[in-house]
Amino acid sequence: MNLKMDTKAVNGVSVVHCSGRIVFGDEAAFLRTKLKEILSTSKKIVLDLSEVTYIDSGGLGTLVGCYSTARSSGADIKLAGLGQRVRDVLQITKLVTVFEVYDSEQKALAAFH
Amino acid sequence: MAVAPISNPGTTAGSGAFPSLVLVQGSDQRSLPLIHSPFTVGRKVDKDLVIADPRVSRDHAQIVHEAGVYWIIDQGSKHGTFVNGEKIERHKLDRNDLLEFGARGGTYVIFNPLHAGSNTAREFLSQISGLNISTDTTDLEKLTMFLEAARKLNTTGVLDEILVTLVETTLKLTRAERGYVFLKAEDGSLHLAAGCNSKGERLTNDQTFSNSILQDALHSASEFLVTDTSQSLDLAGRHSIVAYDLRTVICIPLRKYAVQTIRTKQEPSEPANAGSEIIGALYVDSRFASRDISSVSHDILKAIAVEAAQLIENARLVQAEEEARRYQQELSIASSIQQRLMEIHIPEVPFARMSGRNMSCKEIGGDFFDATSTTDHFAVVVADVCGKGVSAALLASTLQGMVYSHLVAQMPLADIVAAVNRFFTQKHLGEKYATVVIARISRTGELEYVNCGHVPPLLVSQHHVSRPQLGNLPVGLLPDATYEAGKLQLKPGDRFIIVTDGVTEAENARGDFYDNERLEDVAGKSSGMEEIFTSVSNFCGGTPLNDDCTVVELVYTG
Repeated sequence: MNLKMDTKAVNGVSVVHCSGRIVFGDEAAFLRTKLKEILSTSKKIVLDLSEVTYIDSGGLGTLVGCYSTARSSGADIKLAGLGQRVRDVLQITKLVTVFEVYDSEQKALAAFH
Repeated sequence: MAVAPISNPGTTAGSGAFPSLVLVQGSDQRSLPLIHSPFTVGRKVDKDLVIADPRVSRDHAQIVHEAGVYWIIDQGSKHGTFVNGEKIERHKLDRNDLLEFGARGGTYVIFNPLHAGSNTAREFLSQISGLNISTDTTDLEKLTMFLEAARKLNTTGVLDEILVTLVETTLKLTRAERGYVFLKAEDGSLHLAAGCNSKGERLTNDQTFSNSILQDALHSASEFLVTDTSQSLDLAGRHSIVAYDLRTVICIPLRKYAVQTIRTKQEPSEPANAGSEIIGALYVDSRFASRDISSVSHDILKAIAVEAAQLIENARLVQAEEEARRYQQELSIASSIQQRLMEIHIPEVPFARMSGRNMSCKEIGGDFFDATSTTDHFAVVVADVCGKGVSAALLASTLQGMVYSHLVAQMPLADIVAAVNRFFTQKHLGEKYATVVIARISRTGELEYVNCGHVPPLLVSQHHVSRPQLGNLPVGLLPDATYEAGKLQLKPGDRFIIVTDGVTEAENARGDFYDNERLEDVAGKSSGMEEIFTSVSNFCGGTPLNDDCTVVELVYTG
């Protein structure tokens, strides 16, 4: 298991800090479960991916799946602090046009207010 | 012991207008049709069935046909005629009756064996039960050997056969009237798995057994429970015992004995049998009108309890093994269908040529490419389906079929991927999607392409490399995604190269990626896609690929 997730609440927004790899298997399942749990109590989420070193196609599918679920339940997930790898993948797949992406956690938080 | 193979059991017995006898002598067996009556048995050479054994009398017995019924009649033989182990003078024959003449435990004859395709196991059993394996071998031990042999023969449906035979054997040993095996389902409930009576008739869905005694046995710590209702007044009131006139019930809980019982701290003290899991129960009974079976030797019951549980456990293992084997077989069939679907036949057109190669890092990979042509167009598809294995292969085949049919119908590329996206997202495949590139070149060199989530393709024009950047979302991720196709004008000799991310993300031992720079460099210098593969594999050295690599090159020849 190569993914760690820490959650904190900042002004009514759940900030989820991820570090490690988001890949098909345990990691993607963990991300899915954790986000589902957070979504049951919070409608505003910032996903800080600054320490995510790698995301594969399976991980990307999970990320989009969570995003769609959140949107359909009236919640919002904003991404913050993409590393080069994650940024490239989102760029190639044009998913940068789907997600709201911010340079930093602060900027993402500010966008909620 | 050596078990002789059965020589084509399908032709040995029971099929045809006349009933047959199956003569079993050691490991040999042959079938004799009962074509006339009386059918004579004896040591004399003029008999229909000649058994050259001094214990068989010259005129030993006859089988007579009277009004649709077959009788065996002893002809005053010296050592007697036996049916199912009982000495008889005149006896009506039922299917599967075992006949012995003069001596028990040697040569025997089975009257008109029940026969069906699935019955090879039973027949096999009847064969080995006639063998003198060792005087110490019990019928149940023989069953275990049978099971082992059946496993080697890959016999299917072993468990059912075993259970019925187990009940039959138990009936023989206890001389009870009816017998049932109950097995515990995953939810802990008992269900009837097999049942038969002493006449060999199968009993199914019979509610006339004593359920209360069955439950008592399961909750008792003893190895078996013998209940004689005539001796026990408090039982006389129980519903089934009264209703069905049950005299004696023997119930044997079947326990799986753990080799080593692991006791955890949560269960500090356990009753004697708690370490062994109950997997079912063997139940036999007799009615008042019938014989008394309460005096059956306790040693026999103990032996049955241990061996029957062992047997069922083994049979279950055999069953599981068989299922796993079949599953494997299905999987390899699926894999070969998939491979044939994915086999590519590159159409020949005068204005373009194509070459492509896929290096899979798993048996069934997520990458594929395909090519089709119409009169004025040549089209190529490269896709990378998310994930690996069977689920990816299924998605790949569906995608391939959809794209193919749309291409043949000459639909605009953006419409094709939009249709595929709609299809996949409507089906809610759950985070399953694909990245796709489709490129279609016309006779005049006009190239239309749509890129859905792939690394940008390469356009090589006289060693100059460019990356057409127009891209879209992958297909299957978002239902409301829109797609846009790009157009390029190619000159003769121009090459359009499509790669999957397995190429750019190929890693070497240091963890560096092959990446776009190297790719563009070698694409500009090389004259074909083989050189790209060589370059990637030189870069990786011995480091194994962790994703499929696909390279497809489309050259406009003019």
